[in-house]
Amino acid sequence: MSSDEKFLPEGVPGWHQPFWDSLRERNIKVQRCTSCKAFRHVPKEICAKCRSTSFSWEPVSGRGVVYTYTIVHRAPTPAYQAAAPYAIVHAAMEEGFRMVAAMTGVDPDAVEIGAPVRVVYTDLSPDWTIVEFEPATDTEELVDNARDN
Amino acid sequence: MVRELREAAIAGVYQTKQGDLSDRTQAEVWFECAKGACDDAGIDLGDIDGLIMDGPEGVGIRSILPAAALGHDLLGKPMRFHASSSVGASAAAAGVNLAVYAVSVGLAEAVVIVNAVAGRPEGFSSANRDEAIAAMAKLSGPYEYIYGTTRVSDYAVLARRHMYEYGTTSEQLAEVAVAQRYGATLHPLSCNGHRGEITVDDVVGSRMIADPLHLLDCCGINQGGGAIVVTSAATVRGNKIHKPIGLLGYGEGHSHIDPNAAPSLAFFDAAQLAADTAFAHAGVSRDEIDVAGLGDHFTINVLFGIEAAGFCKPGESGPFVENGALKVGGRLPTNTAGGFLSFSHAGACGIFTLIEVVEQLRGSAGVRQVANAKLGYLSGSGGAMQNNYSAVLGEV
Repeated sequence: MSSDEKFLPEGVPGWHQPFWDSLRERNIKVQRCTSCKAFRHVPKEICAKCRSTSFSWEPVSGRGVVYTYTIVHRAPTPAYQAAAPYAIVHAAMEEGFRMVAAMTGVDPDAVEIGAPVRVVYTDLSPDWTIVEFEPATDTEELVDNARDN
Repeated sequence: MVRELREAAIAGVYQTKQGDLSDRTQAEVWFECAKGACDDAGIDLGDIDGLIMDGPEGVGIRSILPAAALGHDLLGKPMRFHASSSVGASAAAAGVNLAVYAVSVGLAEAVVIVNAVAGRPEGFSSANRDEAIAAMAKLSGPYEYIYGTTRVSDYAVLARRHMYEYGTTSEQLAEVAVAQRYGATLHPLSCNGHRGEITVDDVVGSRMIADPLHLLDCCGINQGGGAIVVTSAATVRGNKIHKPIGLLGYGEGHSHIDPNAAPSLAFFDAAQLAADTAFAHAGVSRDEIDVAGLGDHFTINVLFGIEAAGFCKPGESGPFVENGALKVGGRLPTNTAGGFLSFSHAGACGIFTLIEVVEQLRGSAGVRQVANAKLGYLSGSGGAMQNNYSAVLGEV
């Protein structure tokens, strides 16, 4: 990989693939303990809450709120520097797990802890689709809720 | 089985000038440091029979069997002990626990720990800043680095959460950098002392790296060397050169790899666990500590270290560090030689933090001396608060 490209995921264990497949299908699924029903991300071999090794991959809402964030000004490589400054968000998701992703579709200075976010899908390459976060405004939530009903 | 037989102590310490050693080899600096620490202890390099962490660099199997390389090849005799700590940049300091173990149970007589960064290595010790930053960015793993996270951003998210929960300010973080730069100006071997003192305004006005961490909230990338030698306390007393400074208490706390798994990103229970263990072993209270050495990759680390140790309540470290509290003469003199921020961030740089506390407890810190320093506290982290060690030091 040349330095003008962003990093692709490397060394992801094969058994994590259902998560990555779900992103490519634009229908995020996260690992869930079959025993205590707790969601966990990133994927882990056992449930840290009940130590069960059995799990499934379950659809999640993709919605959460900003738990913490940073705005990166000095990026790791020229490919990322071209997009700087950009926000990295740790979001507390509705289903009770946290997730890290870059924020898109908003001025990074507008990001704040507690703000609602939702996942969007970005194709990095033919093989890799990742999630990013975008602001989830109250108005849009109302629209979505109406549609769901 | 091994059992406690005798008391061990830090017999000798040594540091090179910190900065750019790219025109020297790691092995050359390694031997300078090992020899220097032996000289300080009043023993010969040939007395060394135990090694913690890395030996002089080599290729092939020499690089993964460091004590074997130090055996017949280099010191002309077998080594009796080797072990490594895993506490990241604090591993060389945390390794003092392993050296004390080896000596106290009779597995070795003189154990050396050397941290030497020199030459033109690749990866995160690279003399090429861009290469080092890119290599360090990937430490976080693929679920984070794909987004362009960096080692600074890994800590910036922790600092941001601490600010949100407790009202900590950039000016309070800056107090750490200001106090430590002052200490570095008083230490001739420091990397950044020659740059002169800085102010809170200088720190908060410096270029933003990963919000809320500014350039002067962060360590630079530099090279340098340092070493300590641990022998029996009886040997130290017999040599009549220094007070025997020993490990009164020690503890570790290994927390998480995935930040999503950490219960909080504003307070770290594993760091608290390390501190509680060390204080319980030592049987001393927080208010008895005269001088501290807290791992400080970034200014926020010192606040985390102060809270984890229980020098104040969680969330109160911001006000705690105000008004020069960390300088010599302040409430808790900390990283009095400059710490990672201003003394040296070379390799397993926790050893420099340890050496400064030893100098303070020996009473040999010169113009930086904390009056009547009897008890020292040390802590440090590997990764982004991912694992931790704590130690209480004093004369034994």
